[in-house]
Amino acid sequence: MPEQRQKQKQKVPVSDAKKEKQCIKGMGFASFGQNGNPAIVEVKDGKIIRIRPFYYDAKYNPEKFNPWSIEARGISFSPPMRTLQTPHGLAYKKRVYSPNRILYPMKRVDWDPDGERNTQNRGKSGYVRISWDEALEMIVSEIKRVREKYGPYAIFLQGDGHGETKVVHGAHGCHTLLFRSIGTGEFTVQNRNSDSWEGWFWGAKHVWGMEHFGLETPATNIFQDVAENTDMMLFIGCDPETTPWGWQGQMASKACYWLSELGIKSVYICPDLNYGAAVHADKWIPIKPNTDAAMHLAIAYIWIREGSYDKEYVRTHTYGFEDFKDYVMGKEDGIAKTPKWAAEITGIPARTIIALAEEWACKRTSIAHGNGGSYIRGPYSSEPARLEVLLLAMQGVGKPGIHQVPFVGWGAMFELDRMPWPVSLSNVIMWPTHRGNTSVRSLPKQFIPKLFIHDAILNPPVSWYSTTLWSAKTENQFVKYTYPEEGCSEIHLMWSDSPCLMTCWNDSNKFVEAYRSEKIECMIVQHPWLENDCLFADIILPVNTKFEEEDIGSDPVSGLYNCIWLEKQCIEPIGESKSDYEIACMVAEKLGIYEKFTEGKSIQDWIKTAFENANVSHMVSWEELVKNEYWVVPTNPEWKKQPRGIYNFYKEPGKNPLDTPSGKIEFYSQNLAKHFPDDKERPPVPHWIPYGESHQESLECERAKKYPMLVVSNHPRWGVHAMHDDISWLREIKTCKIKGIDGYQYHTAWIHPEDAARRNIADGDIVKIYNERGAVLCGAWLTERIIPGSISVDHGAKYDPVVTGELDRGGAINTITPHNPLSKNASGMATSGFLVEIERVNLDELHKLYPEAMKRPFHKDAGPIFSAFTFGGKSNG
Amino acid sequence: MGKVFVIDIAKCNGCYNCQIACKDEYVGNDWTPYAKPQPDTGHFWTGIEEIERGTIPKVKVAYIPHICQHCDDAPCIPACREKAIYKREDGLVIIDPVKCTGDRNCIDACPYGAIFFNWDLNISQKCTGCAHLIDEGWKEPRCVEVCPTEALKFGDEVDFASSISVGAPLIPDTGTKPRVYYLNIPGKFIAGAVYDPEDDRCIKGAEVVLQNIVANEESNTVTDIFGDFWFENLKVADYRILINKDGYLARTIEPIVNTRDLNLGDIGLYRSSSAQISK
Repeated sequence: MPEQRQKQKQKVPVSDAKKEKQCIKGMGFASFGQNGNPAIVEVKDGKIIRIRPFYYDAKYNPEKFNPWSIEARGISFSPPMRTLQTPHGLAYKKRVYSPNRILYPMKRVDWDPDGERNTQNRGKSGYVRISWDEALEMIVSEIKRVREKYGPYAIFLQGDGHGETKVVHGAHGCHTLLFRSIGTGEFTVQNRNSDSWEGWFWGAKHVWGMEHFGLETPATNIFQDVAENTDMMLFIGCDPETTPWGWQGQMASKACYWLSELGIKSVYICPDLNYGAAVHADKWIPIKPNTDAAMHLAIAYIWIREGSYDKEYVRTHTYGFEDFKDYVMGKEDGIAKTPKWAAEITGIPARTIIALAEEWACKRTSIAHGNGGSYIRGPYSSEPARLEVLLLAMQGVGKPGIHQVPFVGWGAMFELDRMPWPVSLSNVIMWPTHRGNTSVRSLPKQFIPKLFIHDAILNPPVSWYSTTLWSAKTENQFVKYTYPEEGCSEIHLMWSDSPCLMTCWNDSNKFVEAYRSEKIECMIVQHPWLENDCLFADIILPVNTKFEEEDIGSDPVSGLYNCIWLEKQCIEPIGESKSDYEIACMVAEKLGIYEKFTEGKSIQDWIKTAFENANVSHMVSWEELVKNEYWVVPTNPEWKKQPRGIYNFYKEPGKNPLDTPSGKIEFYSQNLAKHFPDDKERPPVPHWIPYGESHQESLECERAKKYPMLVVSNHPRWGVHAMHDDISWLREIKTCKIKGIDGYQYHTAWIHPEDAARRNIADGDIVKIYNERGAVLCGAWLTERIIPGSISVDHGAKYDPVVTGELDRGGAINTITPHNPLSKNASGMATSGFLVEIERVNLDELHKLYPEAMKRPFHKDAGPIFSAFTFGGKSNG
Repeated sequence: MGKVFVIDIAKCNGCYNCQIACKDEYVGNDWTPYAKPQPDTGHFWTGIEEIERGTIPKVKVAYIPHICQHCDDAPCIPACREKAIYKREDGLVIIDPVKCTGDRNCIDACPYGAIFFNWDLNISQKCTGCAHLIDEGWKEPRCVEVCPTEALKFGDEVDFASSISVGAPLIPDTGTKPRVYYLNIPGKFIAGAVYDPEDDRCIKGAEVVLQNIVANEESNTVTDIFGDFWFENLKVADYRILINKDGYLARTIEPIVNTRDLNLGDIGLYRSSSAQISK
């Protein structure tokens, strides 16, 4: 073992294992090194005792970090001195000690690298234990073999799933760094397409630029402005009590109570009475999933008819209004977009649309956003996103009180201008040191966006526009890419960490077919838990959780105080697990490139490097950080001078042009007209597009006769994407899981009693949700919280195949989501707002029909477990 | 000094942090002599009750946190044959996990359903107010520390005088003198939406009078831009609603019996003849 390797192995000794200790751990789950929401983990005798909020003032007098406060309408609002934890973080002990932890390396029982590979059995056959040495030998020999036979681009690295947030230890693509150290650094990488904000990215950016997200940017001091000036806040498809949790904690919840206290009316427009609406709404307007564009058009119709929009602003700040007007008023297609027209589409009474439009026209109105759901993630979601911006423009967006108000993505991707609360002196970042996915920094020659993986494997060549990465600029949406890239091989070896395609991506049953392709000769997956895509691997490697490693973290996103901290090791690794980075180190060692890969640095060295790269070393010394274990970045004393959203554009559009060809808000997108003149699915002027070449997912389609229900699939309340699904304490909550008579906890589906009665479904029944792409079993929760004709199923439930690729017991709704991208030329995915039918199932019959799968052992409170898929395996705990 | 809890339902966002933190504290951790480990599932020493109110689109959700009420006249104490349950000087009620022999009398005696039975350990268990932490110097129990909205508060009686004066017991008339004071326990609501079916317009500014026929009481409100009206925190009674708007025929809706939250739905008002003439 080389000296560096020895050094790297030296962790902070757990010699004090018998003693009590407190470790700071970030409980943000955004991954990619971007943490948030620090917590204190208390450990005794080598066991986690409890997880509790972190106190900013534990070791510092608050004066040191300049506490902020916003004053408006006689009410002040300031962040608390302790972090606002979420149930995901508080229950994380269960995740660490989960019975579903992968305990040792494993090999698929019928995969023989020297003989039959049986790729058709992926997702079906079980696993046997192997040693780390065996696993590493197999991996290295397969890497060498595949590179020799097909060339370097045959190696395909997926490292952008939904995993823990670590810095030095990964997850998310430590192996991409490894392959950059091999030879000239060639390989094929999976690009994480911009997910969760599809509509903004593929639509709104063509209206007003706003790199990188398509939402009003800068977002600085928007809360101050709203608090002073806004009368009404629309929450269109926004759940401030769900999506912020996994990234930021619960500051959004506090903000909502505060806005109500200020007298700002909260109007929620969404198919479901989401968790925010349930406690904060002054008015809930239920709308059929993914029909918001029609509502927007009707509102524009009323304003144009009544002349109740800001004509001067439209004249000076926008481009192409006449074309839009022609479409809205029916001159273009003979259909006036009247409230009555929209009422039939949206399910909102015409009179309610009129009342909303009239109120909006005379009250300063902002729109709140939290990503997720059918508003921004449905087929053609570019259209409602674009239309919303146009409505804001018609009322003078950027004026005091008129904004898009972000409830998630605060400081997103380390951009200080995405922070709507008082900014700190530094956006403390870990990104430069994160040992994970490097594709955002520089792309290898060949890459495949995540949403096209199945097509790329099954039906190459595949072409698309844009790298699809979150950081891709608008003009990149006009650049075409193809797989296989010229001179590159198709992919033949997949290596994946924290994978979640089955759980969170598009038409994921199709991934089963792709994973089973003979082309993929070897599939390696590493993850702490045996879940989701792990079940398709040939070799599985056990990864430890962040509690089992020493690392560093920072929080630029919670909206409280930016903060940097050292993450001590809490407990010894469970089973034979290693960190993603350590695994990459071990493979590097076998490949003889350890020094190059590690740059000669130990874990401790990397932690210090992360500190040095974090934008704070000019304000705090390494010694002080080591002594106190954390440091709070002071609030910028000049924070009030930051612009309030796009106020400067409102004030002087000529001097502050937007990133569009005209520099203005474009009702008619010149870019789309130039690059895609014949695109009926994303025309220059946004349209109501119920269906088209790419999608038949509207109630107006012929398909709706067979599949008459629309699914709204939000980001999960009780997990973060694919994470946390095995936490027994969360699974006890009825909106999380519903126990069937067979003792299995089924994922909860919200069904209106009217729809249930028509199908003879009772509360607590197990139902099959299906379309031609497959079927998913769920537990029926009958509720008034969903508009009739729709059902709500959160994404993220663990995949538990009954018939692999056809019928899922775990409730992974994404297995039956639409296959095609957002629209023909928009390479986002459409995973909410799609057609299904539901029916009650007879569990006895299912057990008779599929005895093997239905009898597979599961934990009564934690769901599918490690031992069920491993021969002779015993689960943790 | 006596400790109390104050729970404000209006501030509870339903995040379940309290329920989860309670499990984090007690599942797998042995705090004898305060408490032995809580089973992984099925016990809710701190538990959230979710109440869905009304019908679409007039729906609200109330989340009610339940804990041991640490009653000053706790019926569980005399009910226990083994005298395993005692009241501390600070008011917290503890089931001694060593003395408890599992006679389960306390479970039946508690009007709040706050005591759970641990079948593996054969003992009754409940919220301890995190007495083991309070004795170590913690200011608050776990559930209170993790509440993001300060819906849950804990402290010395004297510091909560104003909340105590307006707070109510979770269940009235148990006579057990609970040390948990609830604020804003919601009563029933009656809501509806007034509109003009001939014009298909919401009617804003209609006067809506709610008459409690039993108590002979009256309250009134005005419809908002959507024609909506809400009467909240109502007692269960027989009600009548009168709706008036200039130019429209008045409308009376009766009888209304609100054993649950009621959405009266869309209520049409027709134009009065004079209005039609002037039109």
